[in-house]
Amino acid sequence: MFMRHLATSFVALAVASPAMADFWSDAGAAYQGVTIRGVSESTPPSNYVRDVLAPKFTEATGIQVEFETTSWDQMYDKAIKDMEAGSGIYDFVYIEQDAIYSYLSRDFLVDMTKMMAENPALVNPEFSFDNFTSFIDYFKNADGDVFGVPMEAFIKVYLYRKDLFENPEIKASFQEKYGYELAPAKTFQQWHDIAEFFTQYGLDNGEELYGTTVQAASGHPASWYEFWESIAPLYGVYNWGINQDTWTASVEHGGRMNSPEAVEALTFWLDLIKYAPPEATASTWDEVASSFAAGRAAQGLVYGENATWIATNAEKSSVVGNVGVALPPTAEGVMEEAQAGNGYIGYYDGGAFGIPHSSKNKEAALLFMEYIAQPEVQADWAEAGGRIVLNSTYDDPKVQEIDAKTDHYFTLMKDSGDLFAGAPPYPFHNQVREATAPFIYEAIIGNLTPQEALDKMAETTETELKNLGYTAN
Amino acid sequence: MRSSTTGWLLLLPTIVILVFTGVMPFIYVLLTSFFDWNLFAVNPEPQWAAANNFRRLVHDAEFLKSIWLTLKFTLYVLVSQVAIGFALARLMMRDFPFKKFFRAVHTLPLMIAPIAVGATWRLMTVPGLGPIPYYLKNWFGIDYRLSMFPDQAFASVVLMDIWHWTPFVTLTLLAGLSNLPQEPVEQARIDGANEVQIFWDIILPAMKPVLLTTIFIRIMDALRVVDEVWMLTQGGPGAETRFIGLHIWKIVFPKTDYGYGSAMSLLTLYLTIVICWLLYVAMTARKERPL
Repeated sequence: MFMRHLATSFVALAVASPAMADFWSDAGAAYQGVTIRGVSESTPPSNYVRDVLAPKFTEATGIQVEFETTSWDQMYDKAIKDMEAGSGIYDFVYIEQDAIYSYLSRDFLVDMTKMMAENPALVNPEFSFDNFTSFIDYFKNADGDVFGVPMEAFIKVYLYRKDLFENPEIKASFQEKYGYELAPAKTFQQWHDIAEFFTQYGLDNGEELYGTTVQAASGHPASWYEFWESIAPLYGVYNWGINQDTWTASVEHGGRMNSPEAVEALTFWLDLIKYAPPEATASTWDEVASSFAAGRAAQGLVYGENATWIATNAEKSSVVGNVGVALPPTAEGVMEEAQAGNGYIGYYDGGAFGIPHSSKNKEAALLFMEYIAQPEVQADWAEAGGRIVLNSTYDDPKVQEIDAKTDHYFTLMKDSGDLFAGAPPYPFHNQVREATAPFIYEAIIGNLTPQEALDKMAETTETELKNLGYTAN
Repeated sequence: MRSSTTGWLLLLPTIVILVFTGVMPFIYVLLTSFFDWNLFAVNPEPQWAAANNFRRLVHDAEFLKSIWLTLKFTLYVLVSQVAIGFALARLMMRDFPFKKFFRAVHTLPLMIAPIAVGATWRLMTVPGLGPIPYYLKNWFGIDYRLSMFPDQAFASVVLMDIWHWTPFVTLTLLAGLSNLPQEPVEQARIDGANEVQIFWDIILPAMKPVLLTTIFIRIMDALRVVDEVWMLTQGGPGAETRFIGLHIWKIVFPKTDYGYGSAMSLLTLYLTIVICWLLYVAMTARKERPL
């Protein structure tokens, strides 16, 4: 009798448990056949969502996902137009960390904290915003409510070629020429020397090898970003040199955009171009990664989303197994400022998915946000996109295995991530960037000196902020 | 009366479409141009600015530079395309081996979307990847980098446009040439005129309507070029290929400065109309010949 009961219970449990235990099919039942649409930049993490996670979500819930990954410019163009017009084309949009302040200022996004509180049936019992790394803080408003579920986060690190840096002959030659041991650069002089050395090494040996990468596109904001988010902070110029109390940029008015440190930083960075691959002045973040992966540069700053595939994917990279990772060099005192929380040494980049108010399928989109935030899907995603957004992902055995192959990039990110920072909280991010970027372009091609470029940038920034109403006319 | 009503009814769909797609957007842009309106300003609502946006334009060095670059680009591509297109059209009036094959190949660029043309040229010209910089450097020692040298970038953009649109000029002029009556030409030959005289005094005047139409179309296209230049140079290096269409796009979308961008659009439209009108007057002016 007992055995019969046991068997009956077992069968009943077996039949019932998929429906009870599978939150996704239960929660998705009401939205069967619904199609949610999203847009993002075509990056390794987003492409993984499109190719792997979206189809799995459809399988689990019956909700279709049309996820468009496009160029960075087009992504912004499409998302902002849709949200501004309220046309409801997209049910979820990519929010790059630096765009969140603009989006919040325009009230484009749904408050996800409130939405979850109001719709408990839509909340996966295992989901919690507390699972995320501190990167989620960038997507909160002043009350601590979350407006975007982080889907990628990475730091822009200094990559170098271990095979070159550890080659005894090369080391000896470098030592002989510069009088100190070849190692990842700790100072700007070392960065310069290494760049010069390997460019000459490439010429002497008939190799397409150059000293450093430089993200110096002369017609694309990528160069502006590399300078203001990665190089200027290394010289102690933070937040684009804008004084956030007075909304001024020039030294004359209390800013640091054209300060001696900024001029020194720009001079150093522009000088590196002559040691960079010839494509450097046409390179955005993608091309920099491709140049490094093609073995065309000995060192350089590369976005972490590319670090893992460069180090591990032999189909796309010719330097697999030879990639070293380190923190970038800093000027005197900058590291101490970063450690004290008063500065930073580079860009903590990343983004989240948010739901526009104009979305017509908010509930289904919310389920998708939760689905991609599951700990189970994070490890493979980290391998594909070099990104980590949950604390638990660092301890995943698969991630630790990748970490070892990438010269401990993830460990570096975990231990030193707090030395990096996202973009400053400027709602006018795009406006000031677009107004000032042409001066960086002109400096790259030599039409302006660093001092002239920065003076013009500071002046233009102040004019722009005045036009936008941040300072009195 | 009845036929007039029927006529208006038949025209109605066209008028409705024209009002929605042409007249209303124009009025909207016109109104917007009198406002300061930036979504990310402290006050994101449109603020009345009277003619300030137009006043700003006159002193905006970036805008004036983009206008100058656009005019220069238009002049170069127009003269080149008309000259080459006319020569090719004349060539195709004759018989020669593989004529049909040549005509088909020559027409191919026309079938490619501008964005794809730009992407293709970019792939061909990116250092480290493209064949053009590679061979120019290895064979001739030329450092070809569009992203570094403004003259190279401008010349490449002009060449790309000539490559893309000359077939259009060829085809339209070929159609014009095919329809020209042959009698005046034959008569002139009998009278002893040489080929240059025939071309200058008979063919060219007879082709004037076709030429004028082709030139107008190409001027309007060249003045609003965006996609292929965006793909190839993104307006760089610096702002050396930032033509007016690209400049307006940057002001209106990434900068979200709608009022100022609208004023730029209107001024550009005005400029286009004035250029076309001046050209029309110049080309249709009757030459008074001494008796």
